[in-house]
Amino acid sequence: MSEVVVPRKRTGASAAMMLFALALGAGGYVLVALNQNAAFPADWVMTIGAGIQFGGPWFVGIVAWFALGAITWGVTRWRLPYADPLILPVVFLLNGLGLSMIYRLDQADGLRSAELQMFWLVLAVSAYCAVVMLLRDHRRLQRYTYVWFLAGLILLLSPLLPVLGKENHGARIWIEVGPFSFQPAEIAKIVLSVAFAAYLVEKRDVLAMAGRRFAGIDFPRPRDLGPILIAWGFSLVVLVFQKDLGTTLLFFGLFVMMLYVATERPSWAILGFGMVGVLGVLGYLFFDHVQTRFSSWLNPFSDYDRNLQVISAQFGFAWGGLFGTGWGMGRPYLTPLAKNDFIAAALGEELGLFGLVAVIVLFALVVARVLKVALASREPFGKLLATGLAFVFALQVFVIVGGVTRLLPLTGLTTPFVSQGGSSLVSNYLLLGLILTITHQVRRPQAEQADAGQVVSLSSDATQALPAIRTHGPSGVEPRPDPASVASSPAEQAHDPATPASPAHDPADAPTQVVRRDNGEEPR
Amino acid sequence: MSELLVLGLKFAFLALLWVFIWFVGAVIRSDLFGRRVPATDTPAPGPAMAAPEPSPARPQKPSWGARRAAKRMPTALRISQGKQAGLTMTLGDQLKIGRSADCQLILDDDYVSTRHARIYRTTTGYMVEDLGSTNGTYLNQERLSAPAPFTPSDTLRIGRTLLIVEV
Repeated sequence: MSEVVVPRKRTGASAAMMLFALALGAGGYVLVALNQNAAFPADWVMTIGAGIQFGGPWFVGIVAWFALGAITWGVTRWRLPYADPLILPVVFLLNGLGLSMIYRLDQADGLRSAELQMFWLVLAVSAYCAVVMLLRDHRRLQRYTYVWFLAGLILLLSPLLPVLGKENHGARIWIEVGPFSFQPAEIAKIVLSVAFAAYLVEKRDVLAMAGRRFAGIDFPRPRDLGPILIAWGFSLVVLVFQKDLGTTLLFFGLFVMMLYVATERPSWAILGFGMVGVLGVLGYLFFDHVQTRFSSWLNPFSDYDRNLQVISAQFGFAWGGLFGTGWGMGRPYLTPLAKNDFIAAALGEELGLFGLVAVIVLFALVVARVLKVALASREPFGKLLATGLAFVFALQVFVIVGGVTRLLPLTGLTTPFVSQGGSSLVSNYLLLGLILTITHQVRRPQAEQADAGQVVSLSSDATQALPAIRTHGPSGVEPRPDPASVASSPAEQAHDPATPASPAHDPADAPTQVVRRDNGEEPR
Repeated sequence: MSELLVLGLKFAFLALLWVFIWFVGAVIRSDLFGRRVPATDTPAPGPAMAAPEPSPARPQKPSWGARRAAKRMPTALRISQGKQAGLTMTLGDQLKIGRSADCQLILDDDYVSTRHARIYRTTTGYMVEDLGSTNGTYLNQERLSAPAPFTPSDTLRIGRTLLIVEV
């Protein structure tokens, strides 16, 4: 009774896992050079823009990598001591594998992307630390629902602006500021998750209850659905203009899933899948590039020139086999865009099936940890936000890795934490900061749990069920139940208002019960 | 490097990758159910809650962090349970709690009196005082009859609402 479950902090385990992850990431980097040249990596030079240059022997990079990991871990332990102990090490392992693979691809094309990515990692970790230190409680985000919607829409629209926007590889999803280009949709993903979560927490009852039934599906009133439909239509139209299928899929998936989780109505999921089907057919009929994607998915070998990317990824997987060629020993650089979209193919070639599956399992572990926290969360906003962020993360990995391995038609997305790309890295670290803040809030010991036995929490409406009054029970006369004597946790009541307020007043063990006020049952 | 060494390193790396995942699994396994501690051991409920049972999981002496937190002046008041749970207010010199509009913290709670209680600052910390409410103000399950110190380790109950102060 007077026991509470306190999740362990696991500081020691977390630190050990972090060191292990950092060492594995650095190991990949060193192995590339050892395998290729039988020597340690060449000197480390980082050039930012024009003029600014850092450099040093090869281990400078490794020292910087360990230092970044240690700082991130330390800040997390300091500000969020109860945050999930595993998510951060797993993310750093993924990041280390990605950095090593980018470095390996650098050896083939002579660029210095790994150093640039390292610089972006510094920025991303700074952004992460800012979130972790300043946010503290994710519920503070709940207040600004419509600001988030607006911010998300502006971010999505910004690449269409004439000066700022930039078209790259056929998709207009970039904005360019000075020497840096940025993909605002990556940030919009997080902002819109927060907006949807905040909005649905407020409106989910109305969305689930009010409305009319049509064709077996309960549709909410249009005015309740309005903001979401507007946001969704906006993102859809914008993304069709920007010709970025992957992001469209991501936002639509997020929208449908959050609606489903918030209202607990499977009809939303069914409707969503139907709309994806319709969208797919329409896209196929009206857009050339969708047709290209489909044909290179189903029959890639019919056109070697056009489907070179998909085909060489396939050859890479085949060449890698079960255990891969080893770091630096394959030829993943033959695939165009191997550093961004097709990094999964590069990993599959050099680490083999075992390595690629390990990477996918690592992604799955992150998602599973976040979903577990969402289940454990006692307040709806954190629950919805954690579910939404976990889902959008999982969907992104599924869509891009599925696309690269030809499970799905290819859509251009980055592999979170692994691919080259500054905006992806920064926004994913922001997402990580948000997720760890939620895990800290959910996992830390709650005072109210300990008090649940002593303190009442009748649900908010005045007409709710009161427990039965015992007139001559075994314990003698009991007065009108004092609010302080009825035990029930608010979470239970929120989920199931029909539950009797207290197990002690269960009708099954109340033979002396005279009046039940709640539903007018006959006295027994 | 010899080919044998390259091969060995390749397999070692893959093996370590999976060892990492296995470690993660082990941590999850032990983390799955958390640690059960008697409720008296959690930081928030005060000393008056129940007979303190000696628990093997945690020594009786409050931790260094808890003692330091108790010394520092609280800065915020948070509703930890009740209809407005999660609401946080900055603590000033004094804060009146009740249902009337002239209170700084207006509780939406049927068991709260119009002017229910008052929290005010002294040189040593915050004190809480009942303002002659109908249903009483409870600090750690004890009804207040005189002003009492309100520290971060205490839980204040007003009607159906639980309040705590945070540093």
